[in-house]
Amino acid sequence: MLKKIGLVAVLAALVSVVVATTAWGSSKPRSLAAATASVKCGKKVTIGLAYPATGGVAFLGNLQLPWAQTAVKRWNGSHKLKIKLVQGDTQLTTNAAANLAVAHSFASNGKMLAVTGPAGSQEIQDSAGIYHGAGIAPVSGSATRIFLTRAKPGKPRETSKGFFYRTVPNDGQQGDAVANWINKGLKKKRIYIIDDEEAYSQGLADQVQADLQKVGINATRNHVAQNLNDFSSLIASIPNNTQLVYIPWQQAAEAQTFAQQLKASGRNAIVMGSDGIDAPGQFEAHGAYVSGFPIDATNPVYKAFTKAHKGQPDAFGIPTYTSVWVNATAINMACKAGHGKTTRTAVRKDLLKVKLSAKQSLLGFPVQFLTKNKGTFQGPGDMGGSADFAIYHITNSGKYVRVK
Amino acid sequence: MHPLLFSVIDNIRTLGWDGAFQLFRNGLVLGSLYALIALGYTMIYGILKLLNFAHGDVYMVGAFLGYGILTRLNGPLNLAIGIVPAIALMFAVAMLGSGVLGVGIERFAYRPLRNAPRIAPLITAIGVSFFLENSVQLLTNGYQYTYDPFELGKKGTEEFGPLYHTVFTVGSGQNATPVTAVQIFVVGAALFLMVALVLLVSRTKFGKSMRATAYDREAASMMGIDTDRVIAITFFIASMLAGAAGVMFGLYLGVTYYFMGFLAGLKAFTAAVIGGIGSIPGAMLGGLIIGLVESFAIGYVGGQWSDIVIFGLFIMFMLFRPRGLLGSRAIQKV
Repeated sequence: MLKKIGLVAVLAALVSVVVATTAWGSSKPRSLAAATASVKCGKKVTIGLAYPATGGVAFLGNLQLPWAQTAVKRWNGSHKLKIKLVQGDTQLTTNAAANLAVAHSFASNGKMLAVTGPAGSQEIQDSAGIYHGAGIAPVSGSATRIFLTRAKPGKPRETSKGFFYRTVPNDGQQGDAVANWINKGLKKKRIYIIDDEEAYSQGLADQVQADLQKVGINATRNHVAQNLNDFSSLIASIPNNTQLVYIPWQQAAEAQTFAQQLKASGRNAIVMGSDGIDAPGQFEAHGAYVSGFPIDATNPVYKAFTKAHKGQPDAFGIPTYTSVWVNATAINMACKAGHGKTTRTAVRKDLLKVKLSAKQSLLGFPVQFLTKNKGTFQGPGDMGGSADFAIYHITNSGKYVRVK
Repeated sequence: MHPLLFSVIDNIRTLGWDGAFQLFRNGLVLGSLYALIALGYTMIYGILKLLNFAHGDVYMVGAFLGYGILTRLNGPLNLAIGIVPAIALMFAVAMLGSGVLGVGIERFAYRPLRNAPRIAPLITAIGVSFFLENSVQLLTNGYQYTYDPFELGKKGTEEFGPLYHTVFTVGSGQNATPVTAVQIFVVGAALFLMVALVLLVSRTKFGKSMRATAYDREAASMMGIDTDRVIAITFFIASMLAGAAGVMFGLYLGVTYYFMGFLAGLKAFTAAVIGGIGSIPGAMLGGLIIGLVESFAIGYVGGQWSDIVIFGLFIMFMLFRPRGLLGSRAIQKV
C-alpha cells in the first residue's frame, strides 16, 4: 500500500511538473488580438493586481494589497475616470502554476488594460511571455532582479523591452548599496552570505558577493532551503571569525529566528538583510541592518496610512501604490488621447510618458522610466533619476532608523 | 573528485568534533519534534490504516493555540504570570484544543467514510489539510508570528530569557557547544510524552482496546469494544501530541505561521514510514533519524540539500524496505 502511494505521489509530481511547464508555462509571446482590441473607457477601467494572497509569503502580499487599495481609493477620489482593481493570487514561492493561471486570466479579461505586479522576479520570468502576448506590460512593485530589464553578457534581457516596468530600484542598485555600506559604512572584511536558492535571493547574493570581492573583501557563500525553520546547524558551519552575515531572504520571521539563533550561539556577527525582510514588527533583530525601499515618511499619504493601520509602519507595499498610480496615469492618458476608447498597446506605450512627482510617488523621488541603458545595471523599464535603496539600522527598541 | 564531495569532506574537516556535536544536539532536538508528530501519523495509521495528511496542520493549530495563550498573558516580554505556569498553560490549552480538533476531524470528515474505499478518506485528509491551512491563513492574514523564545520571561539586563540560558557546555574554549534549557526541555518533554504513550498502549485496558481495534476492528467490535470511541480517543491522543509539538516548536524556534504544518507533516510522515508506519517505537526512531539526517545534511552538505537528502532517503526506503525499520511485514491473504 505505502509503496503504491509513494509511486503514485512521484507520478503525480511528474505530471504536475509537465502540466505546469507545458500547458501553463509557455514563455513565448503569442499573438493575441487582445493587445490591439479597442476598450471603451467609460467611467471605470480595470487594473489587475497580481500578488501573493496565499502561500508561504502571503504576508508580503498582505503588505502590498492595502497600499494598492489606498492608491485606488485616492485616485478614484480625485479623478473622473475611476479604477477597478481585480485581484489575482499568484502564491509566489508556493505554486508557480498559480502565477501563470493569474496571468492567463488577466490576459483573457478583455476589460483589463494594465497589471500591477506580479511580486516576485521569478514570477515575472515565468509570466512575461503571457503578458507580452496579451499586449500588457506588467508594472511590478517588488521584482528587483537585474536581468529583467538589463541583458546579461552574451544573453538577451529576460523581458522584452517595453513589456516590463518596475517601481523599485533593482538588485544591482541594491547590491551596490549593500556592498558599499558593508565596505565603507561598517568597514567589515569577513562576510558570510546565505541565499535561499530562489531567483531573487540568488541574484542579489551574486551581486553583493561580486561587489565585495571586487574590493578585496572575503565573502563566503552558502545556501539554505527557503522553508528551513531551524538554523542552528547552518550556524554551526559559519566560521567563528565572521564579522557580518548577509541574508537576502523573503521570510522576515525566519530571518528573525536566524538572527536570534546566531546570537544565542555566541557569535557576534552583525546580520544584514535585504528588502525582502524589511518588515518592522517581523524582523527586529537588534543591531541588524536591512536595505529597503526608499520612502518619504513625511508624505501625508504615508502618515495617514500609518495612522489608519494602527501605527504599523510599512515600506514594502509603497512601490505597489506607486505602480497602481503609474498604471492609472497611463490609462488616463491613453483614454484621453483615444477620446474615450483605448487599447492595451496604447496604455503600454503611455507608460513611458508617465511622470510622477516625488510627492505623487511616495518614494521620495520622481518616477519616470528609462528608455535605454543607464550605468552598469539599469535598463529600459527601470526608474531613472535618483532611484536607489536606503539602508536602515534596527535599534535596540526594534525601531528602523535610516542611516543611508 | 566531484566538487560537492570535496565540499562535504572540507566541511567535516572544518567543523571537527565540536561541530559534529553541535549538529548532533540540533538533530536530537529537531528529531524529538518530528517524533512527536510522527507518533500521531503512526497511531492513526495503525488503527484506521489512514494516512492522515491533516495531522501536520493540527500541529500548526497547536502552535497557534499556544501563541494565543502567550498573547493573552501579555506577550513574551511582559508575562502576567511566571514562565513555568505560563508554559504549562500553553501546553494544556494547545494539547486540549488540538485533541478536540482531532476528534472533530475524525467525527465529521473520516467517520462517514469508514466503510468507503481507502482512497476516499485519504483524499478527504488532503482536503482537511487545505481547509485548515487556508482557514488559519485567513484568520492570521498569512503573517508569521513569533513566540519570541529568546526574550520570553527575560528579566532586567539579561541577554536572553530563561529558555535560552546555557545549562552546560560540551568542549572548551571558543568552540565549546552550549546546551540550552529549551533544548533539554524539548527532548525531555518529548521523551516523557513518548514513554507515557508507550505505557498507555501497552499497560492499560484502553491500550488493549486500541491494539485490538488496530488488529481487527470487526472482531474487536464483536468482543464488545466500542471501536468508534477507541478511534475517537486515538485521534484525541495523536492530536494532543501534535499540539504539544507545536508549542515546543514555538518555544524552541519561535516562528508560527499557517503553512508550518505542511513540510513538518511531510517530514514526520517520512519519519513514520522510515521507522515502520503503525509501530510506535518505529515512529520515535524514525523521527530521531530524520532530525539527525536533516541536521548533518545542513551542516556537512549544505542547507539547500537537506530536503533532497531526507526525501531521497524516503524514496530509498519505499523502494528497498517499504515496511520501515521496525514495521511488521504485511501478510497478504491469497
